[in-house]
Amino acid sequence: MNKYLIIDAEKCTGCNSCVLACSFYHFDLFSFAKSRIQVKKDPGKAISKPQVCIQCEEAPCISACPTNALSKDQITGAIRLDKELCIGCRACVTACPYGGVLFDEDDSLPLICDLCDGNPACIEVCQLPQAIRYEAIDVSANKKQGSGNG
Amino acid sequence: MDKLKQVILHVDLGNERTWVEKVKDESIRCLLGGRGIGDELLWRYLEPQADPLEPRNVLIFSTGVLQGTNAPTAGRTTILTKSPLSGFYLKTGAGGHFGAALRMAGYDHIIFHDSSSSPVYLWISREKVELRDAGELWGKGVRETNRLLQGQCAHPLEVACIGPAGENTVKYANIMLSYYHSASRGGAGAVMGSKRLKAIVVDRHRGVVRVAHPHKFREVVKLARENIYNDTMTKNLYLYGTAGDVTVFNDMHHLSSFNWRQSHVEEEAAQTLGGRSWEEAGYLKRRRGCSGCIINCHRYTAVDTGKYAGSYSGGPQLSTVGRVGPNCGIANVEAVFKFNELCDDLGLDSVSTGSSIAWLMETYEKGLITDEDLDGLKPDWGNEEAALKLIRMIAHREGIGDLLAEETKIASEKIGGESWKWAVQSKGMSPTGVEMRGAFSYALAFAVNPRGPDHLHTETMAEFGSTPEARAVIKKITGDEKYAVPDILDKRAEIVRWHEDIYAATDALGVCAFATTCAYGIDEEILAQLFQSATGFPITADCIMEAGRRMMNLERCINVREGLTRQDDTLPWRIMNEYNYDLLGVEDPIVSKEKLDMLLDQYYTLHGWDNETGRPVAGTLKKLGLEFVLRELES
Repeated sequence: MNKYLIIDAEKCTGCNSCVLACSFYHFDLFSFAKSRIQVKKDPGKAISKPQVCIQCEEAPCISACPTNALSKDQITGAIRLDKELCIGCRACVTACPYGGVLFDEDDSLPLICDLCDGNPACIEVCQLPQAIRYEAIDVSANKKQGSGNG
Repeated sequence: MDKLKQVILHVDLGNERTWVEKVKDESIRCLLGGRGIGDELLWRYLEPQADPLEPRNVLIFSTGVLQGTNAPTAGRTTILTKSPLSGFYLKTGAGGHFGAALRMAGYDHIIFHDSSSSPVYLWISREKVELRDAGELWGKGVRETNRLLQGQCAHPLEVACIGPAGENTVKYANIMLSYYHSASRGGAGAVMGSKRLKAIVVDRHRGVVRVAHPHKFREVVKLARENIYNDTMTKNLYLYGTAGDVTVFNDMHHLSSFNWRQSHVEEEAAQTLGGRSWEEAGYLKRRRGCSGCIINCHRYTAVDTGKYAGSYSGGPQLSTVGRVGPNCGIANVEAVFKFNELCDDLGLDSVSTGSSIAWLMETYEKGLITDEDLDGLKPDWGNEEAALKLIRMIAHREGIGDLLAEETKIASEKIGGESWKWAVQSKGMSPTGVEMRGAFSYALAFAVNPRGPDHLHTETMAEFGSTPEARAVIKKITGDEKYAVPDILDKRAEIVRWHEDIYAATDALGVCAFATTCAYGIDEEILAQLFQSATGFPITADCIMEAGRRMMNLERCINVREGLTRQDDTLPWRIMNEYNYDLLGVEDPIVSKEKLDMLLDQYYTLHGWDNETGRPVAGTLKKLGLEFVLRELES
């Protein structure tokens, strides 16, 4: 049974800890522009929604890629990027219905959650609110529809 | 990676000129960052004896060296200036995301010089810094200002701004970071208003914050995070927010109420007012967190029904609930939510606002202000409609609001009679609500706080010994857990000084005092490791604490330069003289002059400050490497 990132936006506190943890894990620096998870906010209403790849069963980003640069990791279920094949066309960004594919303007490459090789950095910083969880679940209709992204 | 640099952005509002300056490595070693470097800037650029509201005052925003990173709780920005309330040093702070954004845009500190001739705001991005016309923003509330500024840009922006209260130089106007984070105390918003600076807007788009040693930093952050998660207080702060402690302090009879005539309220009132009941009652809509925080004690609350339906705000925090609720005799929590909403939107410190209204209620009760002065307003105890109307009058300086906009010291001087006795203030500022009578570390800390009496320079909650971690801290400071009781005089100076040191270092790093002096997940050793791995400057735990002490001494000297003496290190008259209420189990809770003198003697001696004047002696300043301060004070 695969593990998935589960988002519960109602519990998100908007602290951006996940965003910062993500860019630091992958790039050794803190940057919103280099994070694979974003928190969309309406600060006036104190609403915040984490957006990240939720590992769709049939991933539109993979289908949309004209160079087959994207594939699914058979062990973790994460989307893998072959940087050599990627042409930076952003078709994957457009194809994702959940806003889960971001784009690194500096490197001209998509930013897609790779589950940190099975130990997502964002989970460690969200232990009290648990707006992001990493859980083994049955392949669920919910996941496919992305309803968890609230 | 090389040692990290810190960049100061200078803004001359009078000449519409900006320039940058690098902080010297020596300053970083000695004063770390954030509040420490802000202190140094204030020493350098504040002209002694300048009126706080004239152009010669400066206004400084300082970020801590960990802001913008995921070091837990690194969301605190420090603002420094000369306070229009006290005429002394002021540092005030707020959480949120402003500091992280500022560092991502490439700046660690901003210092505003002079004043603008017309309303302006400062725009900061990685590409440019410019002053822009704020004519259309002037007069707008904090919410509208945020909305209008954000509307100019597709990227998320972070905004620091003032409301109408700051524009009207209400002496305790705040500076709001975004919508819901208030740098409340001491009137920094009035200084910003006097400079006709409406807002600072930061676009952090494509910004980056780096650390010197990522591998080590990752390890230390993990340790700090685990410690915080394991601390007894952390989960309570997350679940109930700071206002969860309303019932805790009330049970201990340390919740000052009715303008400090009582120290507790009816249990039912405390339960309704306290944060522990908000979720079940439907007021708590969301828990919120500042940048990089893993505790998430902030709240977003709203009222859905009744006469305050539709009001919403961030918080309210414990201090707001205490000063607005019990201190004004108000038990309706929905009125407190409305009060908080108005204060944040108009740009007022809720503590001084609530305290000024409580003073008016007592003055009205005693007949020194009569109906003739009030144009139909009847500020009886608990009159929430009157209190809410007064907030707007204060922000716009209308009618009696103009008097209250000066806070209780000046207001009582103008009204005369004995009204000064219930003007519960020292250094011109009202205290936050922890009952000092019978909590003598708090009493000492409040008396010597350079900005005036409150817990946000030196949080000595540990003296209550209410958690295992708090008792362990007291043991570390004094050698014995037995000193973890609040109503004894022994070891209070030691307890206060240790908390001063760590609080200052905490501010300098931009982390939250809840991680070091309330929950205890981050100690001086972890602070040192965080600083070292983030900046590349080697440092020990002892040096971190010494840097904190250096800041306290520098702040002391800023105040000495402004004329502060031992007589200013005092407490409100009522705290020192009146005891006709009900502190449970404490025989002699008053902080009498004799007691305070004893505490001050101990404290000055420990610090190496002169017992008569309260001034740091030459040897103390030399030992701390503050010769440049000594030279100026002696010249």
